[in-house]
Amino acid sequence: MEALIKVRDLTKDYRLTRKREGVTGGLVDLVRPRHELLRAVESVSFDIPAGQMVGYIGANGAGKSTTIKMLTGILTPTSGTVTVGGLVPWKQRLQYTRHIGVVFGQRTQLWWDLAVVESFRLLKKIYEVDDATYERQMKLFDELLEVGKYLHQPVRKLSLGQRMRCDLAAALLHRPRVLFLDEPTIGLDVLAKENVRIFLREICEGEGVTVILTTHDLGDIEQLCKRVIIIDKGRVHFDGKLDDLRRRVGRQVRMTVELRDSATSGELASITAGLPVVWEEIEGLRHHAEFNRVEVPGAEVIKRLVNELRVSDLHMAEPGIDEVVREIYRQSGREAS
Amino acid sequence: MSEFPGKQVNTAILEPWHRTATASVGLYFHFIRLAFLKFLAYRLRYYTGVVSYTVFVSGHYYLYTALFASRVADAQGATIGGLSLSEVITYVAVSWIGRSFYFNNIARDLMRMITEGEIAMQLIKPFHVQTVMMFEAVGESGFRLIMFTLPIMVVIVPLFHIGGPPDSILYLWTFISFCLALVIYSQINFLLGCLAFNMKNIQGVLRAKMVSMDFLTGVVVPFTFFPEWFQRVVEWLPFQGISYIPVTIYLGKRPGDELYAALLLQVAWAVGLFVAGRLVWRISVRHVVVQGG
Ligand SMILES: Nc1ncnc2c1ncn2[C@@H]1O[C@H](COP(=O)(O)OP(=O)(O)OP(=O)(O)O)[C@@H](O)[C@H]1O
Ligand SMILES: [Mg+2]
Repeated sequence: MEALIKVRDLTKDYRLTRKREGVTGGLVDLVRPRHELLRAVESVSFDIPAGQMVGYIGANGAGKSTTIKMLTGILTPTSGTVTVGGLVPWKQRLQYTRHIGVVFGQRTQLWWDLAVVESFRLLKKIYEVDDATYERQMKLFDELLEVGKYLHQPVRKLSLGQRMRCDLAAALLHRPRVLFLDEPTIGLDVLAKENVRIFLREICEGEGVTVILTTHDLGDIEQLCKRVIIIDKGRVHFDGKLDDLRRRVGRQVRMTVELRDSATSGELASITAGLPVVWEEIEGLRHHAEFNRVEVPGAEVIKRLVNELRVSDLHMAEPGIDEVVREIYRQSGREAS
Repeated sequence: MSEFPGKQVNTAILEPWHRTATASVGLYFHFIRLAFLKFLAYRLRYYTGVVSYTVFVSGHYYLYTALFASRVADAQGATIGGLSLSEVITYVAVSWIGRSFYFNNIARDLMRMITEGEIAMQLIKPFHVQTVMMFEAVGESGFRLIMFTLPIMVVIVPLFHIGGPPDSILYLWTFISFCLALVIYSQINFLLGCLAFNMKNIQGVLRAKMVSMDFLTGVVVPFTFFPEWFQRVVEWLPFQGISYIPVTIYLGKRPGDELYAALLLQVAWAVGLFVAGRLVWRISVRHVVVQGG
């Protein structure tokens, strides 16, 4: 199957003006401004088949938003190519934007001074959505996002979470085939985040929408995306399954054990002798064990423990994906140096 | 990529994307309505406008009355720059009434959109930003016509005894001429706004525009008061199509074919500036750097 989104050697340089110091410096700047190039995105390539949800992650300033802006046709790249459904976003902007939905978490695409419903009506016209589809979509948005409550309020009077829900609905009104989300859960509380995730899962999986999503909340990725692309300083550092990422980083897990009878860390260590497990006592009955799952089968640790001791509770914590990402940065740094 | 099987997707998604026709004209008309609604939300602002315009016109009224009295012993029947005192007063009143109709802040809005990065939200939509702004300006002017221009006329016309045009058909031509003025004014503003793509400090441009625009359009002083060379220069500029042409039509200063020639000139400028705006936009957007995000 041919990829829907094809990105090849995508590169974007921003031109920065470096100010000189002092009055004379300012005057010199007027005549001969000093420019400097900042490479925000460097040789990024990937393919995304239709219907896939991809997490595009990286630290602040990594180049995520810049990439999204090029994919949505807002920015023209310095070099490289992008085709989405055969169209070049920044060249065939008018045709292209008909098929995509975009949410920039930091901005709104709703008309600020008008009631929300006016924006929806306008979007209906813009994308030539027929009445039946419009009704169906609005009903769906009301069920999943409860936008019905806000329809007659001016956008400027909505809270961030309410506005974000309306923005998501606005981006999906015309049933786009591709959805670009730049930090769609920024600033939302836990419950609102959960709502947004559920909504995205329902809509996008249900309709086979292709999604690229950037976020700093790795819960978004864990719940929505099987595939992640990690970038740092404009370059792709990892592109693959979330599970592979965890495996590649190594699965450092922490097991919390609660015992019925107290035991020392030394005693526990002797039980797991021969396995690279680090024990730490929290309080008499509670202990932490840290080990790498690739090297140590969790089941083996548990088997030995329950054979020797009376265990009242066991709990295993996976590493958060932010730790995983940090680890990837660290590894790439090591390879580079 | 088979390791990431997408969900069962609608097969239409996999077909090549057709070049779809761009937005229909009907869509753009929707923006007229929206702009109207938007300004309705801020209608209070316009009541103070009625007062300030009346003050402007009164100022000119007393200024010209004094000027005529000092220049000629018998103010009645005397002319300056080819206009009698009552014609000058009418000129001022009609040009400010017109200004209350065609005025908008496209340049400022566009500059703000560009410098603050809001332009991104326009670029992700399948429409021509320039056309949208043009139609929004029409909506705004429709609103101004009812909420601003009409109240001002009700105040100013009786207050300064403003007479009608020599022929009542000129009411119609004056209105049409002001509508063309609206297009010219909007497109000049649009082009100025596009400067923000290339310039860091746009405040200066906006201030220079504020000062020079009303001067060059002939709102502040009739062109005929100026030296010959100045009149010859403004004849080659689009600004006269914003105020000087419609007002002189009202005054009956364009007899016979001169009326149609003036209107045609306005049409030519309107079209020319629109095309120029489209070109400048197309070139600028390629170099746009969107802030934020
Ligand atoms: N308009 C601009 N002009 C100059 N430099 C820019 C501009 N926008 C972004 N940059 C620079 O490009 C780099 C990438 O920025 P980008 O906004 O793509 O990062 P990001 O991954 O989205 O970060 P964040 O997570 O903070 O949103 C940064 O170093 C940033 O300073
Ligand atoms: Mg960003």
